[in-house]
Amino acid sequence: MSDLTILGIESSCDDTGAAIVRGTAGNARVLSNIVMGQAELHAAFGGVVPEIAARAHAEKVDLAVKQALSEAMVSLSEVDAIAVTAGPGLIGGVLSGVMCAKGIAAALGKPLVGVNHLAGHALTPRLTDGLTYPYMMLLVSGGHCQFLIVRGPDEFIRVGGTIDDAPGEAFDKVARLLALPQPGGPSVEARARDGDPKRFRFPRPLLDREGCDMSYSGLKTAVLRARDEVMTDNTLTAQDQADLCAGFQEAVTAVLAEKTRRALRVYMELNPSQPMIAVAGGVAANQAIRAALTTVAEEAGAGFTAPPLKLCTDNGAMIAYAGLERFALGETDDMTLQARPRWPLDKKSAPMIGSGKKGAKA
Amino acid sequence: MVWTLAFDTSAAHCAAALLRGDQLVAARAEDMGRGQAERLMPLIQEVLAEGGCPMSDLDVIGVGVGPGNFTGIRISVSAARGMALALGIPAVGVSTLDATALDAERPVRVHVPAPRDQVYEQGFGCEPAVPLMRAGGTDGDTPVILPPAPAELAERIARIALTRAPFETEAPAPLYLRAADAAPAKDAPPVILP
Repeated sequence: MSDLTILGIESSCDDTGAAIVRGTAGNARVLSNIVMGQAELHAAFGGVVPEIAARAHAEKVDLAVKQALSEAMVSLSEVDAIAVTAGPGLIGGVLSGVMCAKGIAAALGKPLVGVNHLAGHALTPRLTDGLTYPYMMLLVSGGHCQFLIVRGPDEFIRVGGTIDDAPGEAFDKVARLLALPQPGGPSVEARARDGDPKRFRFPRPLLDREGCDMSYSGLKTAVLRARDEVMTDNTLTAQDQADLCAGFQEAVTAVLAEKTRRALRVYMELNPSQPMIAVAGGVAANQAIRAALTTVAEEAGAGFTAPPLKLCTDNGAMIAYAGLERFALGETDDMTLQARPRWPLDKKSAPMIGSGKKGAKA
Repeated sequence: MVWTLAFDTSAAHCAAALLRGDQLVAARAEDMGRGQAERLMPLIQEVLAEGGCPMSDLDVIGVGVGPGNFTGIRISVSAARGMALALGIPAVGVSTLDATALDAERPVRVHVPAPRDQVYEQGFGCEPAVPLMRAGGTDGDTPVILPPAPAELAERIARIALTRAPFETEAPAPLYLRAADAAPAKDAPPVILP
C-alpha cells in the first residue's frame, strides 16, 4: 500500500490542533503537529467556557492548518484527505473545525473524513508504537476515563469507565480547592511529592464493586471536606496542602490500578498475540499513576506503553492518523457531515454517562 | 471576469449568492432554524453549479459576520476561512449592518434583531457610528431599516466583498457585539501559609 498524506484538524475542547501525518495504517509518521492552546482565556473562570472556546477556535483553525502545512513542507495539493474531529465534544468548537475542513475539502475537491475524537486517542498507540490489534486502551483525561479493547479502527469494546467525572477534572478541581494553578494535574502531582499520602484517608470509590467502572465525583467532595476541617480563617498550611494532594493522588492511583488489573483480565482472555496496554490522555503524564499501571501490566503479562505527552493530550496528529486508518478502508464523509456533541465509541455496550433522551455522551 | 461568492448563516437561514463581475448570476436562500452546518456547503455547490462556476475558479469570497446567532456566524466564517486558505483567494467579512445600509439614503440607522427584545444597531451618517447592542424599540427621528430577505442579504454581501477585496488584509471574524456568557469562578481558594 502506498503512503497516504492526511491533514488532521482537532477543535473539540480548548486546544486548536492541526497536523500532517504520512504513511500507512500501522506505519505512519507525524510530519507536523501544531497545537494552539487557550488556557489563559479560561483561567479566570476555573474551567473551559464553551462559548469562549468556540470563539477562539473560529479564528484559529485555519491558522493552525496553515502552520501545520508549512512546518511539514507539504502543500494542500499533496494532501490525500482532510480528517476532522466531528465529535464528541463542545459543539461550538467542533463545528468550527468541521466547517473549516469542509471548506478546504470542497475547495480542493478532496475527500473529507469525520473522526471520532475518542478514536483519535484510542488509535494513537498505533501511530506511536505500531501496536497490533487487539490492544487494551486506558483513556484517561480531563473529559474522559474509559477502558477500551481496540480491535480495529472502528471496533472498540468498552470494558468500563467512569460513571461521573473524569480523573483529570478531579485533579483540576482539587487544584482549585487547594490554591494551586491550572491545569491541576502537574501542580497537584508536584505538591504531592512533599506530602504524606497516609495522613488523609480518602475513599476508593467503587473499589468494592465488581467490574471496571469508576467514580471520581465523591472523591472531590471528600477532599473539600478534609480541607475545610484543617482550614482556619480560610488559610491552609503548605504541609496540609501537600498532604491533601498526596492523599488524593494515592486514592486516584489505587482505583485506576485496581480497575486496570480487572480490565486486563478481561483483555487477556482474548489471547492477544502481542498483549499490550496503552494509556493516553493528560492524566497519563502523572508519574505515580504511570508507575502503578506499569506494575499492573507486568503482573498481567502485558506490555505497557504511553504515547509521548504531546500525542496524549488533544492534538491534530491523532485525528489525522485515525482519519488515515478510516480512509485506507475506503471510508469518507460527504459535505453533510454532522458535528456531534455526543458520540460513543462502543455502540453496543450500554451507555454510561448522559443516557437521557439525547443519548450517550461517550 | 471576476467571480464572487457570498454566503450567510447569521440568522435562521442558509443563503448564498454568486456574482460574475457585478452581475448576479445565482442566489439561493432557505429558511432553517438548525442544520445550517450540514446544508451550507451543498447549497454553495448548487449555487456555483447553477452559475456555471467551478469552485476553483472563484476570485473572491464574501461572508456574513453578523451580528446575529453566534453559532450560525461561526459556521459561515469557519467555512469561508477554510475555502480562502485552500483556494488562495481573499475572504472578506461583511456585517449585516453594512449590507443592510448599502444603497440606503443617509442618515439611516440599521436594526438587526437580538435576543430578549434587544437590537443590534448602527448609524450610517448618524450615531451610533460604532455598532452596539441595546434595548429594542424605536427612538429618535432618524429612519430605521431592517435587514433584507436572506437571498438579497447574500447578494449585497457579495457586492461589498467585491469592492473591498483589493484592500482587505484581515481574515473574516465574527461580529458578536456581546461578551460570552461566563461567570468568574466563585469560592476564593484558601490562603496558603508557609
